[in-house]
Amino acid sequence: MIGFDFFVDHYGIFLSAIFVFIGLMSLIYGLATNREKGHRLEFYFMLLFIVGSGVGVALSYNLLLMYILWEISTFAVWRAVAYYRGDGEISAGSLTFLVNFAAATLMLIGFSVLYIDNGTFNLSGISVVNDTAAILILIGILTKSVTIPLHIWLAPAYNAIPSAIGACLAGIAENLGAILFLRLFTMGNYAAPGFFNTVAWIAIISSIIGGGVALRVNKLRSLLAFSTISQLGFVMLAFAVGGTYGILGGVLYIAAHALAKSGLFYGVGVIEDATGEDDMRNVACLLRLSPVLGVSMAMLVGSIIGFFPMIGFFSKLTVVIGAVEKTAYFGIGAIVAAIFTLLYNTRFYHELFFGDRCDIYKLRAKRPSYAGVAVALILAMVSLLLGIFFYQPVQYLTTGGM
Amino acid sequence: MNEIYYVIVAPIFFGLLGFVINRLRTEFDLVAFLLTLFYAIKIFIATRTQIISYNVASVIGIDFRFYADSLAGFIVLFNAIFAILIWLYSLRSMSKMPRERAYYLYVALTLSAANGVVLSGNMIFLLLFWNVLVFSLYGMLQVGKVYSSPAARKAITIIGVSDYLMMLGIVIFLVKTGNLNFPLETTILFTDAWLVVSYVMILAGVLAKLGTVPLHTWIPEAAKVVPASTLAFIPGSLDKLLGFYLLMRISYHIFDITAYIPLQLTLMIIGSVTIIFMALMALLQKDTQRLLAFSTVSQAGYMVLGVGTGIPIAIAGALFHMLNNVLYKSALFLSSGSVEYRTKTTDMDALGGLGVKMPLTLFTFVVAALALSGVPPFNGFYSKWMIYQGIIEMGGRINIWFIFLICAMFGSILTLAYNLKLIHSIFLGARPKELNKVREARFEMVVPALFLALGCIAFGIFAQSLPLRYLILPSLGYEIGEIGEIGFWSPTLATALIIVGIIIGIIVYLMGTVMKPRRTRVFVGGEIMDEEEARITGPNFYSSINSVEMLRKTYEFGEGGAFDFYNYLRGAAEGVAILSRDVIDRIIASLYRVVGRITGMIGKLTSLLHTGELYTYVGWIFLGGIAILLILVF
Repeated sequence: MIGFDFFVDHYGIFLSAIFVFIGLMSLIYGLATNREKGHRLEFYFMLLFIVGSGVGVALSYNLLLMYILWEISTFAVWRAVAYYRGDGEISAGSLTFLVNFAAATLMLIGFSVLYIDNGTFNLSGISVVNDTAAILILIGILTKSVTIPLHIWLAPAYNAIPSAIGACLAGIAENLGAILFLRLFTMGNYAAPGFFNTVAWIAIISSIIGGGVALRVNKLRSLLAFSTISQLGFVMLAFAVGGTYGILGGVLYIAAHALAKSGLFYGVGVIEDATGEDDMRNVACLLRLSPVLGVSMAMLVGSIIGFFPMIGFFSKLTVVIGAVEKTAYFGIGAIVAAIFTLLYNTRFYHELFFGDRCDIYKLRAKRPSYAGVAVALILAMVSLLLGIFFYQPVQYLTTGGM
Repeated sequence: MNEIYYVIVAPIFFGLLGFVINRLRTEFDLVAFLLTLFYAIKIFIATRTQIISYNVASVIGIDFRFYADSLAGFIVLFNAIFAILIWLYSLRSMSKMPRERAYYLYVALTLSAANGVVLSGNMIFLLLFWNVLVFSLYGMLQVGKVYSSPAARKAITIIGVSDYLMMLGIVIFLVKTGNLNFPLETTILFTDAWLVVSYVMILAGVLAKLGTVPLHTWIPEAAKVVPASTLAFIPGSLDKLLGFYLLMRISYHIFDITAYIPLQLTLMIIGSVTIIFMALMALLQKDTQRLLAFSTVSQAGYMVLGVGTGIPIAIAGALFHMLNNVLYKSALFLSSGSVEYRTKTTDMDALGGLGVKMPLTLFTFVVAALALSGVPPFNGFYSKWMIYQGIIEMGGRINIWFIFLICAMFGSILTLAYNLKLIHSIFLGARPKELNKVREARFEMVVPALFLALGCIAFGIFAQSLPLRYLILPSLGYEIGEIGEIGFWSPTLATALIIVGIIIGIIVYLMGTVMKPRRTRVFVGGEIMDEEEARITGPNFYSSINSVEMLRKTYEFGEGGAFDFYNYLRGAAEGVAILSRDVIDRIIASLYRVVGRITGMIGKLTSLLHTGELYTYVGWIFLGGIAILLILVF
């Protein structure tokens, strides 16, 4: 029997709420900034596709259904990346689509093996997991959640995509892999310590390398891309170590990272529109351009780094607890990755917002778009409020809303 | 006990109100600080006799609870006192500075978070407040005189890294022992190597806050660019209070370092190295604030050294020294800030002869400087004396104790040396012409410094009867007799003798010919030299040290950042970054390119087969048919 079933649990609800919220913000940002006449319809169509498939994967009960939504998401990202129709955009779109599609095909083979072994696609019915199937599915997951070495598509995609959909890509579409991992492996019946430990180490190394590259690149969006790679490493680490803290930490981390990264995407979009630059060496002293944007980006960056009043702190803490519970070496790895996060984020922020002799620096910029700044501020405030009143979401996630 | 909520919430609540309603900012801030002081006094009094401890909430097995014992009550009280003094001073010194409004918000936020750190009864709960301090420090360093963002970036990097380490240490502790609440029933012994790691990691966070080697480097960097009040508030007082508090907690209340000599030695070595090297660095500085910043770092070494001994008298001495240091270092920062407020410079070359113009500031500065140098009868002497006693007492446990004693004493001599240089180059000597119109600083700026200087005197002369009896020993839970013999030193008697000595000196001065110095003009090459050119300034007092080859090299390295943890951290990170981007990422990208090539070649091959001619296709169909037949047959 193949049924397309959805189910609702507290993780699903929490994540879908975050996804829909980010989608709403993207919609506002897109309406305010996207003045292009040409194919605007496609713009909103793809945006909604990404949001819808994200919510669908978070709530689906069935592997085949997940696969279909997964492909819808890949398709939408492909169209969105190639939205501007330049040569570079089209080739970035093709790269995105080919890599994701190839990996998803391998994943589909894995799903078929599971179906043959278990006779069902339903998550609760899967009791026997073949090692080969696990590895094939893992390839699909790691590609979607951009883990090194399957990250190659992300930086070109970020550089090509319109900011509004880019925020959805960063906040929603990339998390699908981690969600599938959570549903199928962490909460499932697959028991192979070697597999989980390997995934944890891959995640840590990917996180460190991503952070290292982010410390070196100068294009704003490439930096965001490698930052995403580095942050999703934490999510994968959390789900790979599992346990109460691991699962809670991973879900919280998805939420924290999604909010912060999409906020940074809007901020970078505003900066690019206002200054016409995409290289952070060419811009400085932006705190004078818009102090509100500066403060909101400081909060978003703080959330990614993981300082307390932001939700990023609590998610990082729970991930580290989960990791140390498994072995303390995972914890050390996570902290090294976190130090890289700190370094590249402070560099990013200081290069943009401060600079040598700001009092005499000539800022060549247009007025930043109000809507963009407002959207970044809203996301920053949500991160802050979730961080201060962390008790409610954490309580909800641990007890299932009871 | 609602007082605990109030001291945490009141500053930030009223601070925010003041930030939003700028017109009433001073009133709101006054309410905030007075309320906090009031409740801090209540907590202080309550904790003398009882321990306050209760749970607020628990989530995922972590209790969020408050805990206040006598040590916490003590620290909370002084947090509030220093905040109010600094606030009073800032009213004048910060007026019309850029981002003045945010400055007060940060002061309030820092006070809230500091109280939270001290009153929290769970390590993770403590970590939350500890993290808020990073934010407020970062903001506060941005309220600079000049372009201050590199200093702020350096500070946030060093403190942030140490906070991560602390987080890991706490988490390892949680996982290994399963309990993070104060007070523990028994202290944890170092039975597991991971527990040692955990202690060292938490220690990193503590030392970064306290500002000892090797995590101190942001303080001198910041000293160049931020106002004196910021320096007096954060690295000067609150950081010392909090760092010391947590050092005590982890060393004696959670772990027991006396059970593990290597850790004790580590602490003592860190302390000694900090004392000597930072005092040497201070000796050659040419900027008053930078010199004082190095001095702050150097003094933190005494606290770590004292705590490291594990001897009650030295621990009490370390707490007393911390309190004293906060008093006189804040007084010094504030006085030098007053000088800067009037003269607009902190460069010692441009200063001199201000003693006549600013007598009150001279008084506060000299008292604080002498106290800092450990000259009896001021308070600094007494606390150092106690630490020395502790080191000597420790001789029974380790046989290299005299090295630490020599370091501590030699550090004290160096401290006196750089203080003389400071006093000379600011207040004595010939006055540059531009400074002839300088007046005494504003009332609001003198009063806090005066208050602190009087505190230095009172705590020195009445050391045994006032601070030790009522503040220090009860806070550590020691009885008067328990800490052993405090030598034969009696400060009150000594003061009387010193006063007699001074009176005799004055009589000699008045009787002798000293009153009438001989004044002559300076001739150079037969010409009368301008007085301004003949002026001797202070900064080169000790430059002869530089002629010692080994020391000169060390200084050059030190100024070049060779001992800077930050540079090494960034260097290592940069190395990993180059490896990641230019090697690993390239290799992966070329692998993808190879896959792309192969796919392209296959595509080309198939396109070669599709020639568009009918014969070829017929041939392929034929071949395919044969293949199917063969498969079906076998």
